[in-house]
Amino acid sequence: MWRYARLYGYFLRFSFSKAMEFRFDFFFRIGMDCAWYVIQFALFEVLYLHTPLFGGWDPAQMRVFLAAIFLSDALQMTVYANNMWWFPFLVNKGDLDYYLVRPVSSLFFLSLRDFAANSFVNLLITIGFMVWVLATYPDPLGAGRILLYVALVLLGVFLYYAIQLWFLIPVFWTHEGQGLRQVFFSIGSYSQKPDAIYRGWIRRILLYVLPLALIASFPTRAMFEPDPWRLVLHMVVASAVCFGLSVAFWRRGLRSYASASS
Amino acid sequence: MNARLFLHIASVEARKRMSYRIDFWINTLFGFLAEFGVHFFLALALFAESGSTQIRGFAQPDLVVYFVTVLLIQKIVMGPDFGGHVSEDIYEGGLTRYLLFPSSYTPFKYAQHMGALVPLILQAVLFGVLAIFVLEPTQALRVTPWTIAGAIVCVLVANLLYFMMRLPLQLIAFWQDNVWSLSVMLRFASRLLGGAMLPLIFFPAWSQDALRILPFRALYDLPTQTFLGQLTLTEWLTGLATALVWCAAFTLIARAVWKRGDRKYTGVGI
Repeated sequence: MWRYARLYGYFLRFSFSKAMEFRFDFFFRIGMDCAWYVIQFALFEVLYLHTPLFGGWDPAQMRVFLAAIFLSDALQMTVYANNMWWFPFLVNKGDLDYYLVRPVSSLFFLSLRDFAANSFVNLLITIGFMVWVLATYPDPLGAGRILLYVALVLLGVFLYYAIQLWFLIPVFWTHEGQGLRQVFFSIGSYSQKPDAIYRGWIRRILLYVLPLALIASFPTRAMFEPDPWRLVLHMVVASAVCFGLSVAFWRRGLRSYASASS
Repeated sequence: MNARLFLHIASVEARKRMSYRIDFWINTLFGFLAEFGVHFFLALALFAESGSTQIRGFAQPDLVVYFVTVLLIQKIVMGPDFGGHVSEDIYEGGLTRYLLFPSSYTPFKYAQHMGALVPLILQAVLFGVLAIFVLEPTQALRVTPWTIAGAIVCVLVANLLYFMMRLPLQLIAFWQDNVWSLSVMLRFASRLLGGAMLPLIFFPAWSQDALRILPFRALYDLPTQTFLGQLTLTEWLTGLATALVWCAAFTLIARAVWKRGDRKYTGVGI
């Protein structure tokens, strides 16, 4: 375990020094993510001009939901998004060999090697936004609920990672990663709206099969519902199952990997 | 650049794009359906929770039709992520070969961009035809051959406008190491302020004048509202004229950036 922590420390050091080499890109990317936050915020503000509730939430509750979306987005952008982006290219070019010969878990190394230092600044901004939202919430929010909310947001980031792997690993067989990745980005937008707006079999899929609706909605619901433990259990089980499937899928993929000729 | 050469470049690019069939169908089937699903449920929830039958002149079925139309139009207007190739040409020194060609760089790139639209147009037509059988708009929407023709003109202008808006951002690659995030920012802003996320009429009254003047409206809202027969001839002409003025403005900006960047370009890449 200590070996992995030390290795991750090296990843951080390397990533920060790399980010500092491209200073304008560093600031452009911060601007890009901030633009996305502003647009998501504006979208819901406009929606609330026409309805008192959306997804069962009033504007103040929706801001708590937005804080969960922004924090989970910033975390995934900071911690693993770059690595996920390069994964299909590594498989196609045979560069995955470099990861497989290391004496550490290949999935760990591949998922966490590149820490996005520029997105780390966004992470601080989103934490600031979350603090503001929680501090200005009209009713008192207990410390326990806030801790549970933050813990579930972190679990949501892990769940998003596990699901994303399902859409990347098929590159071992298809040799073309762009199509499925685009599909994942499209489907991923389901997590950016309250789960209560989805109905019928789509809702069941988003809660149980492809549990994207859990990522930001469940932490927010856990903050406001009288009994949050059913939601916690649902999210823990979904994360464990999704990650277990991802690891099994990854192992199968590795068996099909044929280096440069893959 | 003469029309024959333009068409030849566009057709080469179109054939290249159509060769990735698996990707094309995966994107077509799942990408569009996924995107539409989010908008569909947003429309349902908005009307259910507001308790209204009309919001700014839209009934719920009409808002669903708006979203289908705007999503299909958005695909054609934005096109593939072609802007990235301009910055890559600069980074990798590939721009040099275009400078040696007996034609200008920007029209060459625009011809490739148009060719790359072919799969997207096929997607739009396919889903558009399916939508006719599935959706049930109210009488308020009046799609006629005239509105379709008017929308096609708007889409052509909007596509050119988006290309010209993205070009100066891409040309910043003459000075900076990585500019893709600027194009992404443009995409974010254009989707909200252009009406791809919600009809612009839903925005507060104080913002309507600004939205009409900004270039974003011409990208998605104008073609969509034209298609759905929601504009008068005067509104359509005014919107189109505004778009053309913005096209000219961005062309001038791109030209100025190009002139300065060209002097800095070394031909060996960054």
